Amino acid sequence: MTAAGAAVAVLLALLPLAVHNAYFINGMILVFIYGTAAEAWNLLGGYAGQLSFGHAVFFGLGAYTSTMLLARAGISPWLGIWAAAGLAAAVSLVVGLPTFRLRRHYFALATLALAELVRVLFLNWNLVGAAVGLYLPVRLMNQSWAMIWNTKTPYYYIALVLFGAACGAGAWVGRVRLGLYLRAIDEDEDAAAALGIPALRYKLLMMGASAALTALAGSVFAQYVLYIDPSTVLDPLRSVLFAIMALFGGRGTVAGPAIGAGFLILLSQYLGGALGGFGRGYDYVVYGLLIMWIAAYEPRGLLGLVRRLRPRPTAAPGPEVRPATHGADTRGPRPAPALLLEVAGLAKRFGGLRALDGVDLEVRRGEIVGILGPNGAGKSTLFDCITGYLPASGGRIVLHRAGGPRLLAGRPPHWIAQQGLARTFQLIRVFPGLTVLEHLLIGQEHRGESIAAALRPSPPAVRDRAEGLLRFVGLEAHRNAPAAALSYGQQKLLAFAMALVRHPPLMLLDEPVAGVNLTVVERLKDYILAQNDAGTTFLVIEHNMDALMALADRLYFMANGRVVVEGPPEAIQQSDEALNLYYGR
Amino acid sequence: MNLLLTAVVQGLIMGLVYALVSLGLGLIWGVVDVVNFAHAEYMMWAMYATYFAVAGFHLDLLAALPIVVALGFLAGVCTYAVLIRRIMSAPAVTQIFTTFGLLFFLRYSAFAAFGPDFRGITWPPAGGSVLILGVPIGAAQVDAALAALITFGLLHAFLQWTKTGKALQATAQNPAAALALGIEVERMYMLAWGLSIATAAVGGAFLLTFYQVSPTVGDAFLLLMFASVVLGGFGSVLGPLLGGVVIGLVESVAGNLVSPTFKLALVFGALLLVLFLRPGGLLGQERRG
Repeated sequence: MTAAGAAVAVLLALLPLAVHNAYFINGMILVFIYGTAAEAWNLLGGYAGQLSFGHAVFFGLGAYTSTMLLARAGISPWLGIWAAAGLAAAVSLVVGLPTFRLRRHYFALATLALAELVRVLFLNWNLVGAAVGLYLPVRLMNQSWAMIWNTKTPYYYIALVLFGAACGAGAWVGRVRLGLYLRAIDEDEDAAAALGIPALRYKLLMMGASAALTALAGSVFAQYVLYIDPSTVLDPLRSVLFAIMALFGGRGTVAGPAIGAGFLILLSQYLGGALGGFGRGYDYVVYGLLIMWIAAYEPRGLLGLVRRLRPRPTAAPGPEVRPATHGADTRGPRPAPALLLEVAGLAKRFGGLRALDGVDLEVRRGEIVGILGPNGAGKSTLFDCITGYLPASGGRIVLHRAGGPRLLAGRPPHWIAQQGLARTFQLIRVFPGLTVLEHLLIGQEHRGESIAAALRPSPPAVRDRAEGLLRFVGLEAHRNAPAAALSYGQQKLLAFAMALVRHPPLMLLDEPVAGVNLTVVERLKDYILAQNDAGTTFLVIEHNMDALMALADRLYFMANGRVVVEGPPEAIQQSDEALNLYYGR
Repeated sequence: MNLLLTAVVQGLIMGLVYALVSLGLGLIWGVVDVVNFAHAEYMMWAMYATYFAVAGFHLDLLAALPIVVALGFLAGVCTYAVLIRRIMSAPAVTQIFTTFGLLFFLRYSAFAAFGPDFRGITWPPAGGSVLILGVPIGAAQVDAALAALITFGLLHAFLQWTKTGKALQATAQNPAAALALGIEVERMYMLAWGLSIATAAVGGAFLLTFYQVSPTVGDAFLLLMFASVVLGGFGSVLGPLLGGVVIGLVESVAGNLVSPTFKLALVFGALLLVLFLRPGGLLGQERRG
């Protein structure tokens, strides 16, 4: 791919020497400018899955900033475009902070509305020319410092360099850890947070980068067309166009937006020439049809269509490797375990319903503690409150770590996960499009991971750990298979292994063996015991009584949002109160 | 005081019209769980259909109305059967992408067919103005508001008191359970699309009596529709009604008392405020994450 990319770059660089057709060169300049914006959109919308329909704002900000600086202050666009990029990035972060709380449709809608808002403001803002717009100072024609020429060649190379940079940024993100984190955030943000991935930070990073690149494209566009007004550079249709180019070519890839931009721009140029007038909108009719067709038949875009023609080798299921079994007899008594997790008076109300009604619970280092109880007892709600997925209505949650106690209540899930608390979900949550190995790579420790670190590939230690865990749970034959291709039992193993990568001191398992066959139940039990030997403390919700009896050192029996009985498994088994509640007698 | 009363009455009347054209958007969102970014384009096509029926075939608006509404229903059913059915289980990204494709296709095929000109009709009953609470309001607007109330009443009655209507509601709340009960969910989706576009057609037809149509008329309405639906919630028929009226009031009061230039900006601002304050939608009816 890199060799192919370099070849394309050289070809494009040599193109103006061979082709002198101004119409075609103009088309290519537009392809590069729109391609840059589509690649920029793809950083946020493709990799991180945040669909923005407001990127015209950044394009317009770029165009207006560098133009204002040149026309009003005489500052060279060579400097002005960077000011434009910086301003757009700053605005995007201010906008992104509240907007990222919204999901999918609402995010798309909010960006659309924001873009309209900005357009209306610019239409009425006299300083920037209001509806009349701004002309670039053509008296500076052919003065290189003003970035204005009457030939197309300089623009061609500027746009090409920018486009190359945008593709490079996309390729980089695709190759480093950050790319994996973003795909995980795109597929299931909550599950990503359970691994400690700070979703908001990375989404803001992509938003800033995306806005800055789009603004650069806007600045260069203004320098090229020499006239800007709100209905061209701030047109909401332009935002949609950036998105459509990326989606059409194949979002979340480097080649996709580039292909999409090339295809759609050149198509519209051709239709404009052949069918008589860009103005009639035939090109958009064809766009619309193509978009619907490709969405219905190949959601991965043109690139997906190409990939379909090349069947990929699928990994044959290899022999399953069983780990060494660890029996209960190897565990032995532990010396005076210290307190690890302390829950006191935890309450959670949903309206009038008391899902948790003053839960007290303690987990000590090295223990396996079980939570048992009828459906609706509040077990999963308890986990959600401990791990930050639900805000508690009252009470205290304290994690006692080497560095001192940490109060967990009111903290976001990724922060809690970074304190060393891993969890799995009752309804299995893996990332369908990520491969098995990728799941394990993103499971690495995220505490103290800087942005610079996320911009590098996974370190060898993480890779070794991932390989080891792959063997441990017997999934190494499936390492390159997407999680969606795994069976339910294998997905459970994967979710378990993924949470183990960072050696969490405490793991919360929500029904780890529910819904899997007996062989996998036995294997999971073995893994939990083995991991417990290796130093991980477990808090386990489970309905499978046999499994729980074999695993747990202590049990809490919950009903109606309270802990009813607590003690060793045998004691709970003989508690009439617990049995009556459990079986509804 | 008089200015405020005028603004409120005008806002109420226009709000009912916004509610009518938004109703179908909320219906599909609620029942089919697809956000149709092309909804305003269907309204635009209904306006053209009305224009040609009235100006071309010299039909009375009320005679043209059943034809336009039937065509709208058919267009909705076909859209579901041909396109939407294939993307029902696709990710939200693909769904949004698809309806944007639909938007492009519908808008620019109208552009290619009819050109950029503005067209309108005159309908004698919509001439002149009437006094409501002492405020003169165009008869055309009042007729459209009445049509909105009748449409809302009929749809509400259909959903509440017929078996099919109940089945439609069941499908909206839990398609899997509805399927298990023997409700033909596919047909319900098709019905929802038909009803959605049919109501947009009623709105479009009456809108044409005081608002000229051009291929880009949807631009002015798309975000207004979304604002109405998000504001009111899309679980019921009454949600968009409430939302539409609130948006009409915001627009009218802001336009009359603050500044006409920024009235749309204020509407979008209101939409953003609702989105930020209630990220899950006002009524929190979201099924998928």
